[in-house]
Amino acid sequence: MEELLPNLALGFQTAVSLQNLMYCFIGVFVGTLVGVLPGIGPLAAIAMLLPATFNLPPVGALIMLAGIYYGTQYGGSTTAILVNLPGESASVVTCIDGFQMAKNGRAGPALAIAAIGSFFAGTVGTILIALAGPPLAEMALKFGAPEYFSLMTMGLIASAVLASGSMMKAIAMIFLGLLFGIVGTDVNSGMSRFTFGMSGLADGLSFVVVAMGLFGFGEILQNLEKGQEVSSRDLLKTKIDHLYPTWNDLKLSAGPIMRGTAIGAFFGTLPGAGPTISAFSAYAMEKKVAKDPSIFGKGAIQGVAGPESANNAAAQCAFIPTLTLGIPGSGTMALMLGALTIQGIAPGPQVMTQRPELFWGLIASMWIGNAMLVILNLPLIGLWVKLLTVPYRILFPSIMVFMAIGVYSVNNLDLDIYMTVFFGFMGYIFAKLKCEPAPLILAFVLGPLMEENLRRALLISRGDPTVFFTRPISAVFLGLTILLLVVMILPAIRKKREVVYQEPDAV
Amino acid sequence: MMMQNKVAVAVMGALLLAAGLMPASAGAQTAANQTYPTKPIRLIVAFPPGGSTDIIARLVAQKLGEKLGQQVIVDNRGGAGGTLGTEIAAKAAPDGHTLTMGTTSTHVIAPAAYAKVNYDPVKDFEPITLVASTPYLLVLHPGVKANNLKEFVALAKSQPGKLNYASAGTGSTTQLAMEMLNRAAGMDIVHIPYNGNGPAGAAALGGQVQALFGSMPAVLPHAQAGRLRAIAVGTSKRSPAMPNVPTVAESGYPGFEVSLWLGFFAPKGTPKPVLTRLQTELTAIANSPDMGAQFEKNGASSLTNTPAQMTALMKTELDKYGKVIKAAGIVLK
Repeated sequence: MEELLPNLALGFQTAVSLQNLMYCFIGVFVGTLVGVLPGIGPLAAIAMLLPATFNLPPVGALIMLAGIYYGTQYGGSTTAILVNLPGESASVVTCIDGFQMAKNGRAGPALAIAAIGSFFAGTVGTILIALAGPPLAEMALKFGAPEYFSLMTMGLIASAVLASGSMMKAIAMIFLGLLFGIVGTDVNSGMSRFTFGMSGLADGLSFVVVAMGLFGFGEILQNLEKGQEVSSRDLLKTKIDHLYPTWNDLKLSAGPIMRGTAIGAFFGTLPGAGPTISAFSAYAMEKKVAKDPSIFGKGAIQGVAGPESANNAAAQCAFIPTLTLGIPGSGTMALMLGALTIQGIAPGPQVMTQRPELFWGLIASMWIGNAMLVILNLPLIGLWVKLLTVPYRILFPSIMVFMAIGVYSVNNLDLDIYMTVFFGFMGYIFAKLKCEPAPLILAFVLGPLMEENLRRALLISRGDPTVFFTRPISAVFLGLTILLLVVMILPAIRKKREVVYQEPDAV
Repeated sequence: MMMQNKVAVAVMGALLLAAGLMPASAGAQTAANQTYPTKPIRLIVAFPPGGSTDIIARLVAQKLGEKLGQQVIVDNRGGAGGTLGTEIAAKAAPDGHTLTMGTTSTHVIAPAAYAKVNYDPVKDFEPITLVASTPYLLVLHPGVKANNLKEFVALAKSQPGKLNYASAGTGSTTQLAMEMLNRAAGMDIVHIPYNGNGPAGAAALGGQVQALFGSMPAVLPHAQAGRLRAIAVGTSKRSPAMPNVPTVAESGYPGFEVSLWLGFFAPKGTPKPVLTRLQTELTAIANSPDMGAQFEKNGASSLTNTPAQMTALMKTELDKYGKVIKAAGIVLK
């Protein structure tokens, strides 16, 4: 603890050199630009730009990659809010209220609150890493297969809360998501499931394909159907009162930002769970604590502030297991580890002691990167909002082209583009049926992890299912799940009764 | 200022690449007076960027580009255990402008374990030379009461079917190495597959499983930090990175050898002079002290041979791993 200040001082000394500041800026800038392209999330962006950092000094390379990581993450939220296109799974939830806000002419405040929330979360995350990185990582190692399974179950149940419409339809969408998640090679037996002999499906459906299809293509199809009205479909038809959030917006967002940060910091430390689970836990949380939950799904600023802070806090804390243990929490973190190895640095507990300037420099530059994002993005908000004034007949073909490039860039597979079109039609049908795609996406992301951990837990326990209740952490999660179910079902039962009572009057 | 320009150029280059435009090679002029190569060379890596195969490929690609006077562009085509990218390489034009980095995984294990693979590792390729190999290290969670392989085998035999080992996935080298040891020592340690080397390492670190026959780059840092106990190395010789750790062979199982080799392949029918040229250059690159040091940092070491030796190696290993795969009942479909 008493070493914190000298350590941070060393970090800032390293990060504040002109060269490193520049790497940080390039990273954040390029990241934001690439992230705004639909379909290119942090993973694809880092994979593409990784080779560009090979010839940089190690500290510079990592700083630049970290900048790209934050930049793309933030850029992904921008498209989620403006055009309903989540760049990665963590920004799916942002679409729900963020896009509604944009439709109500409040794209500016939504973007600004996302930036401010992310900055706050990033700051807290940085402090947390500096203060408690190694012990937190130790805690994360206590999570075995049963714990992960119980955590995922809780997450899945919580995702039903995301729906603003019918609970029944939300549950149906969750099951459909689970089914789509099954596609691909089974981790235990190595058998492929539902691949129909196509080797391109052997690794499962890619998140980008499903999300771009359901959200992006689906949205475009719906708009085109309106025919003549399309040209008049103007996101800015409502007068823009404020480009920046009002005092009231800030007051409303303060609570969600803090709660979101706490949730994100917790889940981010766990390898594998990461930003997605924290973003929608934060959303579920806000909806539960709100005085009037009915405003969610209609453009509630709390629904943007909470999840955006949560996913950024989680993105930041994902560095904890990566740096201190050398265990990547996500595909993106695995790439960051790869970058370290390319620089000839073996990641793991010894990085902190052997290369303190690298470790602390990276931590300091994380904070600098977050600050740069705010500075870079607040003035850009005006520009992004202007983008919405582009006539739809020009906007939608460009979105389609960028989406196709983004989808293709992930695996260089043309099959992925056809699959996106398929999910686009599904998205259109869902919209007609008033089924919301968010629970499907979350089930799609969590389902495979859940199955993998369930089977692994049972494999280790030699088929004994009581492990889920006898391991304390796992038992707590399952207890919370049951509580959550009760809380969810009670109002539904009550409402049904009301409906029953109302019926005679209606007739 | 120099550095700044370099970064800008590198970033722009990457962006151009991303958009599908090949940046013009700086060394293109020098190639004008030669017949091969006449354009940039595509090196297919059948795994995603950042992994150990990708890192080795990129290190060699850069040097090879300098020697040939043409850029060597790494094209990551990951998926389906490396079979997707390898299939693309098998079907590419055999003019020496498409090469692939083949490994034990793509050219031995996948063809033996998958029910159907759309390439033949021996008939569809011209082997050029190996460049490196990576050892496997048997590590235990520090809580396991065994300080060497002998004690570990005794412990496992005293409680058959009770201990677990992690692997990077069903049909991965990490599983096959352990299955070979299971068979050689008459142990019954249960396989728990994970999704990649990272999660498998975490499971061993957290004590979710007792053992892991892990790839050197993934487990070495933890073994050095004392968080995992290294008891044996799978290669025929001890590793310079861990000279105190004996080999499995010298611990009582002579002939035991498991390692991951990485080598260059061209599509079948690539002209002989091109292959000879590539073999000369690649052998020189892999054997240079500079490259050796780079490999070592990444847990690998230089290893070169001839096309004939490569073919023989593949045939021996297809037989060796094929038996383990059959005995362990692994079929990937």
